[in-house]
Amino acid sequence: MAYKRNSDTLNRITLCAVSLIVFAVLMFPLYWMLVTSFKKEIEIFQVPPTLFPSVLNTDSYFAQLKHGDFNMFGSFKNSFVISFCAMLISLVLAIPASYGIARFQFRGKRLCILSFLVTQMLPVSVLLTPMFILFKNLHLLNKQFSAILSDATIGIPFSVLILMSYFASIPKELEDASRIDGCNRFSAFLRVFLPIASPGVIVCAVFSFLYGWGDLAYGMTFLQDQKMRPITAGIFNFMGQYGTKWSYLTAFAVVTIIPVVLIFVFMQKYIISGLTSGAVKG
Amino acid sequence: MNRIRLFFRYGNIGYLFVLPAMLYMLALVGYPIVSNFILSVQDVTVTTLNAPVKPFVGLRNYRMLFADGVLQTSLVNTFVFTCCCIVFQFIIGFALALFFNRDFSFAKPIRGLLMIPWMIPMTVTALMFKFMFSSNVGIINQFLQSWGMIGQPIEWLLQPQLAMFSLIVANIWIGIPFNMILISTGLTTIPPELNEAAAIDGANKRQSFFYITLPMLKPVIESVLLLGFIYTFKVFDLVFVMTNGGPVNSTHLLSTYSYKLSFTLFKYSQGAATANILFIILFAVSVMYLRFVYDDKGAA
Amino acid sequence: MKKGFRTVCVILAACALFSSGAFAQSKTTVTIWNYWETPKHQETLARVCKDFNDSQGKIEVVTKYIPFADFKKQLSIGAAASELPDIVIIDNPDHASYSGMGIFADITDKMASWPDLKQYFDGPLNSCKLNGRLYGLPFGSNCLSLFYNEDMLKAANCQPPKTWDDLKSVALKTTKGKVHGFGISSVQNEEGTFGFLCWLWGTGNSSFKINDANGIKALSLVRDLVKSGAMPKEVINWTQGDTMNQFISGNLAMMVNGPWQVPTMREQAPNLKWNVVQLPIGKKAASDLGGENFGVVKGDKVDESLAFLKFVASPAEMKTYINDFGYIASRKDVAATQFTNDAVMKVFSAQMASAQPRGPHPRWPEISDALSLAMNESLTGIATPEAAAAKAQKTIDSIVGTK
Repeated sequence: MAYKRNSDTLNRITLCAVSLIVFAVLMFPLYWMLVTSFKKEIEIFQVPPTLFPSVLNTDSYFAQLKHGDFNMFGSFKNSFVISFCAMLISLVLAIPASYGIARFQFRGKRLCILSFLVTQMLPVSVLLTPMFILFKNLHLLNKQFSAILSDATIGIPFSVLILMSYFASIPKELEDASRIDGCNRFSAFLRVFLPIASPGVIVCAVFSFLYGWGDLAYGMTFLQDQKMRPITAGIFNFMGQYGTKWSYLTAFAVVTIIPVVLIFVFMQKYIISGLTSGAVKG
Repeated sequence: MNRIRLFFRYGNIGYLFVLPAMLYMLALVGYPIVSNFILSVQDVTVTTLNAPVKPFVGLRNYRMLFADGVLQTSLVNTFVFTCCCIVFQFIIGFALALFFNRDFSFAKPIRGLLMIPWMIPMTVTALMFKFMFSSNVGIINQFLQSWGMIGQPIEWLLQPQLAMFSLIVANIWIGIPFNMILISTGLTTIPPELNEAAAIDGANKRQSFFYITLPMLKPVIESVLLLGFIYTFKVFDLVFVMTNGGPVNSTHLLSTYSYKLSFTLFKYSQGAATANILFIILFAVSVMYLRFVYDDKGAA
Repeated sequence: MKKGFRTVCVILAACALFSSGAFAQSKTTVTIWNYWETPKHQETLARVCKDFNDSQGKIEVVTKYIPFADFKKQLSIGAAASELPDIVIIDNPDHASYSGMGIFADITDKMASWPDLKQYFDGPLNSCKLNGRLYGLPFGSNCLSLFYNEDMLKAANCQPPKTWDDLKSVALKTTKGKVHGFGISSVQNEEGTFGFLCWLWGTGNSSFKINDANGIKALSLVRDLVKSGAMPKEVINWTQGDTMNQFISGNLAMMVNGPWQVPTMREQAPNLKWNVVQLPIGKKAASDLGGENFGVVKGDKVDESLAFLKFVASPAEMKTYINDFGYIASRKDVAATQFTNDAVMKVFSAQMASAQPRGPHPRWPEISDALSLAMNESLTGIATPEAAAAKAQKTIDSIVGTK
């Protein structure tokens, strides 16, 4: 018994060590970004490159606070509002749709799945002009609603397809049992299926949010007012006519991701509880 | 009224669930797809952009594209890029998902942190990789040289095949979290009792992986692969920033080539035609996939 | 109740304020798109607009920043959707394309009576023209010259090169360890074309002729520089900004670049000893004309837009901003008064005499693409200069022939 515990501990230490190595390898580009943001522009281009800044330069970070008429905090809020609303739209529309496809037999089901996929088959750059004309006619240009609506078009098909496989994998017996317990289809959906699929729902929420967060093309094209634009648009402040300002660009990226990382770390608990819910057990 | 009720009585009630999302997508994306198709059979360039009637030219744009030659390169590149990325992203993502599914204290926080590549704006990631792969000041060559693995710096982004390789590496890096998290979530829906029962019945780890885990994950894997294929096939920002199709048009994908035609050369119709070719391929792949996956389930 | 009453009063007052505000707002708004991202440029442009807005009571000019990397796309989309500003400030080689698209108004007749038009240099003014008609006005100009690191050249015991042969030998002599002798942005896009054309023109050719002894000579020059190791192959991934960064980080002994880099270089590398000379000469002196133009968009605000252009183009106003922008004025009378105390900028001023505009041709982007492709092919050794030249000529002929 004692032996087993020892080998268990050893095993765990190995696992931790391996995970750290994996972490280090995969995160190296991020480390490099962080280090670059603390270097002076000249040092960035030094041969050979330095693994750690020789002079710690924090100017790039302070420069983020005041840059032309692009407001870091304002654009952060814009990004948040846009991605959050896009996420809500995606979930509200995708959850029932995926449930419908997974649990009902109806004519043209395959066509349904196909048409969701079809909407993802053109590169964003091609969609911009027609969408621009569409939003112009709807008088939505230069309103955040246009970015929200267009960002949701990335999240919906993704969520439908992912959730569909979750709903499909729930055993039929469970549904029958709930029917016996007196649930109709809608309450079965709300009280039985949704909780079981909750890890999937959370993952879809996370991805839909991140699709909106990472979007640059839509927010850039449909919103021409600097005050409306998402935070990603700020990248252009450092990739201008005169080339790339590396230290600023990387500092900007670090500042952009820190709050999101914090949200994720904070939400980990909930995401994990979603991930480990064992509804099927019962 | 009765007829309507009859229609929705059984499985057709599924329409009610599906319709709102479907209408939303068709309203926003259906129109662009149609308009792109029309544009591709017209002749819209610098001189005809503002003409009231655009000349119809049939398939001429497609013929001209094939005559030029860059389209073929882009087609091949797109397939190579997609297949390599999908295979490696999936394998690495799956392996990591299994690894972090085990119970040890670092598992959850590290798995969470590995999502960060997804949160960085794609443009920044692409610039970062371009920088790391540069042959003079790039850190990758620096490492390889200091470890004695190479003598001369490797010209990563300066030679066609190597440039393609670098793009694939960068895209795999971005794609790993996508695969890992989706498969991780799938793993958690497999009741642990199944594996425990199998262990009692004398199954070893390999057996329980192939006979329990994989079949249980099948629907998740299918959707991850299909979505991965579609999203990778139309990757744009990464290539646009890292190589912009260079050196000498050797790393263009259909998406970047289409962008170049439309917004750099102002050959709008040829750009639309290129995007349409991309569209048709993805469409064909999806139809085949759905045939393959749903036929055995007998969805009416 | 009382509270409700007060609210109503506040709302009424607010309405009154707003409506009176709207009443005073009988001004015509003229919108300008620009892609200058640096704070100094933005501030200066805003100040110029304010000067104009304060100078009269009928027109209100507002500026909108569209990022450089997104500008062409945004303008194409806007054109397709007929949702455009009233004035755009654009890169001069693109002017003819947009004129060809029918986005810009033909202002030839309206400007005919404007006496100052004679004051403009031919190069910049021609870049605003298409088929002899005028579609805008130059904003300001720049060109390319040769930057060199004084210490590195001294250490190699070299003088700044005057001819192509000098350039090759000095570049080779200064190449040492991590330092390359020479660099020029050679990306496969307009930026690369920009850098390459000064060689092509230096042989006496026009932008449209590359498949002859001269064109091949120009292509061979870049190839030889790379082959001998004096120029890193990586220039095909270097923007002009990257090239400047390499130079100030001490990785390049010489580079070709423009005056817009000068302020950054002085700020970022105050201790670096560098200087500028005119470009080495092949058969004749040649440099590239860069810079921005005002394009006046078709529509019902052309007159208001022209009023603004005439204001900013007046010598008195131009003197207040052109130096801050780091441009060389496109007007002879203003250019003559610029940079009297700045030796470096004076070189660029002098170089302007041999600077030519690219094109102008409505399908310039395609021509430019063919040229930069040929340059990249021979630079990387993927094709011989002869083969690259032949291919590019075929493309160019198919475009220019159909004009």
